[in-house]
Amino acid sequence: MTNKDSSRNKIKTRLFWITIILITWEIMAKSGAFPEAIFPSLLDIARALGDSVVSGEILLQTGFSLVLILEGFLISLLAAILMSSLAVSNKVFNGLVDTLTAIAHPLPGIALLPLIIIWFGTGTLSIIVIIVHSVIWPMILNIMTGFRAISPVYKEAGLNFGLNHFRIIKDIMIPASLPYVLSGMRIGWARAWRALISAEMIFGAVGLKGGLGWYIFKQRVFMDTPGMFAGLFVIVLIGIIVEDYVFAAFEERTVKKWGMI
Amino acid sequence: MGNDLKDEEDNFRDRAVTIRLRSVSKYYQSSQATLRVLDNIDLDIYQGEILAILGPSGCGKTTLLRQIAGFDHRESGSLLMDGQEIVKPEVKRIMIFQDFNQLFPWKTVIQNVVYPLQVNSIGESDAANNEIALQYLKLVELSGFEDSYPHQLSGGMKQKAAMARALTLKPKVLLMDEPFGSLDALTRISLQNLLLKVWRETGVTIVFVTHDIQEAVILSDRIAVMGRGTVGIKKVIPNLLDRPRVVGVAGYAEIYGYVYSLMDINSER
Ligand SMILES: Nc1ncnc2c1ncn2[C@@H]1O[C@H](COP(=O)(O)OP(=O)(O)O)[C@@H](O)[C@H]1O
Ligand SMILES: [Mg+2]
Repeated sequence: MTNKDSSRNKIKTRLFWITIILITWEIMAKSGAFPEAIFPSLLDIARALGDSVVSGEILLQTGFSLVLILEGFLISLLAAILMSSLAVSNKVFNGLVDTLTAIAHPLPGIALLPLIIIWFGTGTLSIIVIIVHSVIWPMILNIMTGFRAISPVYKEAGLNFGLNHFRIIKDIMIPASLPYVLSGMRIGWARAWRALISAEMIFGAVGLKGGLGWYIFKQRVFMDTPGMFAGLFVIVLIGIIVEDYVFAAFEERTVKKWGMI
Repeated sequence: MGNDLKDEEDNFRDRAVTIRLRSVSKYYQSSQATLRVLDNIDLDIYQGEILAILGPSGCGKTTLLRQIAGFDHRESGSLLMDGQEIVKPEVKRIMIFQDFNQLFPWKTVIQNVVYPLQVNSIGESDAANNEIALQYLKLVELSGFEDSYPHQLSGGMKQKAAMARALTLKPKVLLMDEPFGSLDALTRISLQNLLLKVWRETGVTIVFVTHDIQEAVILSDRIAVMGRGTVGIKKVIPNLLDRPRVVGVAGYAEIYGYVYSLMDINSER
């Protein structure tokens, strides 16, 4: 109950401040202190967004970006679970994963862009590679931390019931480390989202599709500032939806319900 | 007194030995020294008995129980169950830990109890396994809490659920490591009674580790008293008080006093 109350309070506070910001924005835009091309009014932004939705353009680009990030995210999640499981099963592999993570984790995806372009070109494959790079290392780090934090009692109880090594990992270690997996997913998502938008801006469109990053970048060329803000609005919206309705909802239905956090 | 006990020990002579320890040694290596926690331990555990392992904390009770469970490597000695060397944990010896958090928190109570059945493909269907699990939850008086998650249970209820989960696979031996040690006194008594009921109804052999003399006397058929240092098992005392037992029943004071005298409680002065 208190949980619901506090989340309702949070939404109220947010709505309040958003309203204030929007009003301030509109006053600034209407005051004429800045040219319209730099500081468009809310109505212009809404119209740009509406036009773009009607023409289908922004939906197309958003869909393109979302499909890419989901693909990359799923690949990374599975690969991270696989690599972490191998690492806890085998000393040699553990050393390898540890070293790879230490090297690759501090490397921002964008820093790898030139290299990735040389290796994989400027197509969707390169974007997937950047997303995977952004997600997989924090995922592995978190999963490994989670594995190490598991109470030995769970594993011993499992061994006592006759579980083999594979089932110990699948049935015990992975669910037991879910809080860590979740925080790895959050970090990974944020990183991947940034890397994706940046990469799309640099790669441009393949045919008509270039993603949200490309959409925003393109509006600059046309000096369509309201259109740029429309793109930013969609990015913020997706960010909030993913955090509040995907991650938070998943957390609510799993680790919170189980009293694990 | 000593003579009485000798006679009483004969009562156990013809009982079948389920687990036999001979010269079992277990050391822990630290940077400075080797800690010889168990040094040449000999012990027989009889089928169907409740054997209490009693000793001050740090004397090696958990280490001994984990050896019997098969969790840890040992330096030397032989540990046989029904004539076969114990080398790894098995479903015929199930451990119940001291830690209240031994149920899997991501499973409900019934899912926890069903899980070992699924792993070992016991029932013919999920429904059959569910039926078995419900029976054991009833046995431990936890009916109505099937769909609770472990974090919603009290410590005593968690230990009851752990007992149900341990019993589903019909183990020959239950290994219990101070399972009621952190409970309040009343809950502890009620769980002791529950354990005795479970023991009567299942006939399972129980090795019960405790540092509480009263608990050992109330529960056990025999008490293995361990001492500090590398003393190992000082003495195994038969405990033939009539059941049901309560504190203060005829003969209680004698056996309590005898065990007390073996525990070196004042030796640290
Ligand atoms: N994994 C371990 N590594 C090193 N020393 C240990 C380990 N486990 C237990 N010990 C030591 O062995 C002794 C016996 O421990 P334990 O069997 O847990 O005692 P008890 O259960 O009787 O309290 C203690 O001195 C303890 O510090
Ligand atoms: Mg102990």
